[in-house]
Amino acid sequence: MKFLYTAAGLVCALALATVASGAGTGTPGVSPTEIVIGGTVPMTGVAQAFKTVGLGASYYFKYVNAHGGVNHRKIKYILKDDQYDPAQTMAKTRELVEQDHVFAIFNSLGTEHNLATRPYLNAVGVPQLFVASGANTFGTDYKQYKWTIGYQPSYRAEGTIYGRYVAKTAPKSRIAVLYQNDDYGKALLTGLTRGLGKRAKQVVAKQSYNADDSSVQSQIAKLKSSKANTLMLFATPAFAIQAYRYSYQLGWRPKVYVNVVSSASNIMGLAQIASTKKEVEGSISIDFVKDPTDRRWAKDPGIKLYRSIMKRYKDKGISANDPYNVYGMSVAHTFVQALKKAGKNPTRDSIMKAATHLTIRNDPFLLPGVVVRTTSSDHFPLDQARLERWHNGHWVSFGGLFRVR
Amino acid sequence: MRRALGIGLWLLMAAAAVGAFLLVPHLISDFHSRDLAEAGVFFIAIVGLNLLTGYTGQISLGHGALMAIGGYTTAALVVHEHWRDVWTIPLAGIAAGIVGFLIGLPALRLSGLYLALATFAFAVAMPSLLKKFSGLTGGSQGLSFLESSPFQVTGLKGTVTVFGHTTTANHFLYYLTWGIGLVGLAIAWLIVRGRFGRAFRAIRDSESAAASAGVNLPLYKTLAFALSGVYAGVAGSLFAIQSEIVNPLSFTVLLSILLVVGAVVGGLGSLPGLVIGALFIKYLPSLAGHVSTRPGVPDFIYGAAIILVVILLPGGAGGLLRRLFAPLTTWLYTRP
Repeated sequence: MKFLYTAAGLVCALALATVASGAGTGTPGVSPTEIVIGGTVPMTGVAQAFKTVGLGASYYFKYVNAHGGVNHRKIKYILKDDQYDPAQTMAKTRELVEQDHVFAIFNSLGTEHNLATRPYLNAVGVPQLFVASGANTFGTDYKQYKWTIGYQPSYRAEGTIYGRYVAKTAPKSRIAVLYQNDDYGKALLTGLTRGLGKRAKQVVAKQSYNADDSSVQSQIAKLKSSKANTLMLFATPAFAIQAYRYSYQLGWRPKVYVNVVSSASNIMGLAQIASTKKEVEGSISIDFVKDPTDRRWAKDPGIKLYRSIMKRYKDKGISANDPYNVYGMSVAHTFVQALKKAGKNPTRDSIMKAATHLTIRNDPFLLPGVVVRTTSSDHFPLDQARLERWHNGHWVSFGGLFRVR
Repeated sequence: MRRALGIGLWLLMAAAAVGAFLLVPHLISDFHSRDLAEAGVFFIAIVGLNLLTGYTGQISLGHGALMAIGGYTTAALVVHEHWRDVWTIPLAGIAAGIVGFLIGLPALRLSGLYLALATFAFAVAMPSLLKKFSGLTGGSQGLSFLESSPFQVTGLKGTVTVFGHTTTANHFLYYLTWGIGLVGLAIAWLIVRGRFGRAFRAIRDSESAAASAGVNLPLYKTLAFALSGVYAGVAGSLFAIQSEIVNPLSFTVLLSILLVVGAVVGGLGSLPGLVIGALFIKYLPSLAGHVSTRPGVPDFIYGAAIILVVILLPGGAGGLLRRLFAPLTTWLYTRP
């Protein structure tokens, strides 16, 4: 009996294997009419503010597809919700690779999340392109993980900028730091200490929270009691907004530095509603994409293109004023350029080669002068930014463009 | 004559079950066999929960936390002690069994709702406990196997060779999980049909009657908890091996409640129906997501489905099976 079933099973397996090998010629995810890529972003949960990083990219691909695609292939971008939980990122990424047979993983969001999937993707040889995290390791450890490349400026470099700026402009200030208790928050903290250099003692209090905590109220109270007059927010949007709110409720008005992950103008608007205009006024951050609400860009061709794409393709309930959409379009633009470079019939090897040999000077969504550049020994596509100050409900950039590493 | 026929039919059904177990992964895609392996994890935990709740009448809302004990035992042994992941399964079962025994102690004094609340508290506290002892558990980031060597982690190499026979990792996980599941089911069946089972059922139906009939209440209650803990621990270990990451978010209160839902849908006090219960909690959420992805709608459908099952099938899938086969079994077991 059992023998019969096993035999039947083997026959079926053989049949399936033959069918599968017949269908799967060439590179997975690449057909004459389509390129299938996929990625994870938090669509729900604490970090859902980031969903437009994925959605913005998907709108740009729709626009590219409507204009003929790349080498007559349409780009199919499968977005999955990981709820900002690395275990789910792993499960969903596996699904993308093994069930949806994607050509590459693209623009998946989160430091811990991409760290979780990196060994797997490198073991199976699937490109992990332009991860939405500024952890240095995605740019520096390419010898060990040759299928992985980052995108945005590194968090450590960003922290260094704030450190240098404080040391130069306010050497007497007392600094309090709120950071996420993982590689992302710690990288910013390391950078800050490095930037402060000899003035590292200016940091008088540090408090961390976990990504799955519900509130940072007690952390803010402890930071306030340190009598600091400067607050570094190395936190994701929901927690940054809370930090503004609780500081306001406690009557604490420090000078705030908010990391780029949470400084999108729509998030700042929410922080302003949660606290007061006064509490948020004067906050400092950095930027490298064009802010769609900035009046300077009202007539800019890049933002005009952005607005027209949003008008045509955006989902209901998504605001065109959300700058993460611009970030998403920028990274999608970079992918399209890499894909064009990867040849008529792209392979996983050729897309990796293209992604690591890029020079894009005209990305319409990035600040003027910002260049996407990679070489075989430089795996940081973006490493330029400008400082900006929140004034009267808008970001105003000051100082020139500088290189961050 | 009828008796022989009954045994024959029974053997045929067992063979069909084993045949289906062997055949199924070849009929579906490689990835779906991994999905089924995940359902197998629920199956094992539900079989254990059913021994406790269905047969002994002790409600536990803390089985997700027992799975956490098993999952973290495996993860800690792989990450800190460099064990091969599959060899940690027995230890994970034993660890969770011991914890199950300890939770069983308050059960000697608590009953009904109060016991449910105590176990619920255990489930609520578990994620915080895991974060507290971050040296061992990795805190809120948890433990990831993926940095370990491919010789320790089943899922990393893509294929697994057992006795010179090579299968894909997903098929291996399916056979491993459901193989353990079927053995676990057989053991549970042997337990419930013998002396232990009679004692368990006596406790469920009336504690005082059981005590007056000479059933050692403290012994059998804590034994039921410990046994059930072993099942949960093995399930948690397999869960960790499959997902390759464990973190506090994997073992929230929701998991404990899902297991109870699975046991109720499968049928309390029945064993074969539990396969349906496990498939129900594994696949219904994603099926509900196919109907509509608007916020709230999948949850609504999920909730409605559970209510419908409870109203229409008070005995769960096990009860339905029993009713379907009632004419046959009556005919077989009634003397002419």
